[in-house]
Amino acid sequence: MATHEYLEQGHEELKHVSDTELCSTYAALRDECQPTEAGTYHPNLQKLCGSAFEREKDRREVRRLVEQDPPPEMQAWYDEARRQPCVWWLDHHLVARHALKSCLSCGVCTAQCPAAQYYEEYNPRTIVDVALSRDEQRLIELLRSDVLWYCGQCGSCKTKCPRENNVMGLVSSLRFLSQLKGYHLASVRGRQQYAARHLWGANFWNRAFSLYFRNADASSHPDFGPRYARYWAEIEEQMRRVGATPDVSGDLGGKKVQPETLAELRRCVQWGGTLVLWQQIEEHAQASAVRSGLTIDEYYDKVRSEG
Amino acid sequence: MERFPIAAPTETAKPVKTVKEIPANDFYLTTSCILGALNPGTETLITKLYDLLGLHWGITAANPASQCTCCTGITSHGDMMAFESTLLVVARLWSVAAELGFENITTACVTSFCIHTECLEMYHEEPDLMQKVDRWLYEACGRTLHIPKHVVHASDIIYRYRDTLAESFLKHRLVDFRTGRPLRIVDHVGCHYNKVFPEKAVGGADYCDVLTGMIRSWGGQTVDYPERRHCCGMGFRQCMIRPNRGYTMACVLKKLASMEPYQPDAILTNCPGCNVFLDKEQWAIQELTSKEYGIPTLSYTELAGLLLGWDPYDVVGIQAHTVPVEPLLDKIGIPYDSDRAWLTDTPKEEVSVS
Repeated sequence: MATHEYLEQGHEELKHVSDTELCSTYAALRDECQPTEAGTYHPNLQKLCGSAFEREKDRREVRRLVEQDPPPEMQAWYDEARRQPCVWWLDHHLVARHALKSCLSCGVCTAQCPAAQYYEEYNPRTIVDVALSRDEQRLIELLRSDVLWYCGQCGSCKTKCPRENNVMGLVSSLRFLSQLKGYHLASVRGRQQYAARHLWGANFWNRAFSLYFRNADASSHPDFGPRYARYWAEIEEQMRRVGATPDVSGDLGGKKVQPETLAELRRCVQWGGTLVLWQQIEEHAQASAVRSGLTIDEYYDKVRSEG
Repeated sequence: MERFPIAAPTETAKPVKTVKEIPANDFYLTTSCILGALNPGTETLITKLYDLLGLHWGITAANPASQCTCCTGITSHGDMMAFESTLLVVARLWSVAAELGFENITTACVTSFCIHTECLEMYHEEPDLMQKVDRWLYEACGRTLHIPKHVVHASDIIYRYRDTLAESFLKHRLVDFRTGRPLRIVDHVGCHYNKVFPEKAVGGADYCDVLTGMIRSWGGQTVDYPERRHCCGMGFRQCMIRPNRGYTMACVLKKLASMEPYQPDAILTNCPGCNVFLDKEQWAIQELTSKEYGIPTLSYTELAGLLLGWDPYDVVGIQAHTVPVEPLLDKIGIPYDSDRAWLTDTPKEEVSVS
C-alpha cells in the first residue's frame, strides 16, 4: 500500500498491517513537510486528525506500551486499582483522597452549580452523599449513571464549600473509575468517552495539545453562525495574519511540535499511568461494538453523535 | 418596564486589598490550546504586550525536545488523563522554564493557571509526592523537578501594568468619544482563574478585580450584574461533544439575559473558552430565541491592543468574532476599514442550528 493510501483506510482494512509498519507510516506522514513562506508546513496533519487510521495507530501503540514489562510504577498502580472495589478507590486514589473532608449537607454546592440549574436530576450534594456512604452498590449505581457526566468542571462548588471539599475533583476521580471498570458503557453520556479518547485524547497524544484548531471547523460548529463559517473558510490565512503558526513548526497557535517534544510528553503520560485508562476504554468499546453488531469505526461514529 | 435603572448601574466593588503577589518580570509563557485554535490574536497579543512593556519573557527553546506543550487542561477535565500524568506534564514544563532561565510561569489559559496551581497545592498537601514526581520525571525524560517561584495568569501581568499602559501607551480610552460617556463594560472572569483557588485571584472569587481593574484604569464603567459570577458553560465535554452543547448555550443565555438590562457596550473576558462561547453562542441564541443581544466580546489583550491603536484586523484579529466588534470601535473612535476584514470574496455559507 502506498503511504498516502493509509489515510483512507479503517480498522478492517488495516487489520493485517503490522504494528511497526502502521506506527512508522503514521510518523512519516505526520512529519512530512514542505518549506513555505510561513515556515516549515506539514500538509498531512489535517488529514491524520480524526481519521480511522489515526485511531487504529493509537490503539495499537497504546496496547504495545501497556504490555511492556516492567510497567512504570503508576501504570502498575492503575492496573491494580481497576480490580479493587470502588470503596478502595475512594481511600487510595490521589484526587479522591484529597477531594472530601466532611460534609454538612448544607447544599451550597448544589445551590450555585450551573449544571444543577440546567439538569433537573443533577445534584452534587447527592454525589458527595454517595461517596461518604461508602456503599459499594450505591457507588456502582452512580458510576453507571448519566448524572455523573453532567458536571461542567467549573469549580463553583469548591469556592463556597464551608468544609473546603472539592466536589469537582471528586466527580473527576469517579469518572476515571467508571471508565476503568467499564461502568461508563451503561450511560449515553458515559459512552461518549470513546469519542473523547479519540478527540482530545488523540490531540494530546499526537499533536501535544488537547485542542487542534481544525476540530473547530464550521461544519462541526453550526452554533457559531455564518460569520464564523466565513472566517473558517480563510482559517490558515487569518491565523497567520495575526502571527499564529497553523500546521507550521513554531511557538504559537496551531503549531506542529517537534517529534522530540512529543516523545517526552508521551513518556510523561505513560509514567503517570494514563495508558491503563486508554487501554480499558478501548477494550470496553471493542466489546460494546461487538455486542451491538458494529465495527469499531461505526461504533465511534455512533457514540459521538448520541446524547 | 426595565428591571434595573439603566442610568445608574451597580458598579463593581473595588477590592479591599490585592490578595495576590504578581511578579514584575521574568516569565516563561505557556500557550493555550483554545486560544491558539479559536482566538489566535488574543494569544499573540500577549507576546506583543509583554514586549511593549519591556518584560523579560520567553517560550522558544533551542533544544527541539524543550518545546512548550498543553498542560493537559481539556484532556484532564475531559476525564482522559490520570492526575499523576498531569503532574508530570506540568513538571516537564517547569523543567523547560528552568532550562531557559525563567523562575516564574505565566499561563495564557486560565485552566492552565488552575492546573499548575493544583499541582503546587498537591505538593503542599502530599508530603512525599514531590520526591516521587522528581523520580518519575527523571525516568521518563531525564529531567528534574523545579518548583517555580510564582505561577500567574497573563491577565495578572496586564493587571499589574494596567496603569502603566493607560499613562504611557494607550491612544484611546473606554469612553464614547462623541459624548464623553464612559463605556459600560461587563466582566466575565474565567472560573478556573478565581473559583477553584480564590486566594490566588486578584480580589478573590466574589469581587475579583483582575478585569474590572483594567476597565477602571482604561476609562470605562464596571457593572456588577446579577449573574456576573455564573459560568459561561464551556464545560469541556459539554462544548466539545455536539449533543451536549445545549448546556453551554443555556449558560450563555443566562448571562446575556442578566447583563442586558444594563445595556453593556462590551463583555470583557480573561478565559479562552469564555471569550469564544460568550461571543459565538450569541448567534445560536438569536436563532433559537429570535432575540439579538449583539454584545461584542473581547479578551483583555484584544481590548488592550485596540486601545493601543494596533490594527484591528492584522494585529488584534477581531474578524474571528461572531458578534461584530466594529460598533464598539465606532464608539471609542478607533478608525478601521471593514473591507480589510476578509481576505477573499468567499460568499456567506448558509448555516442552521441543529
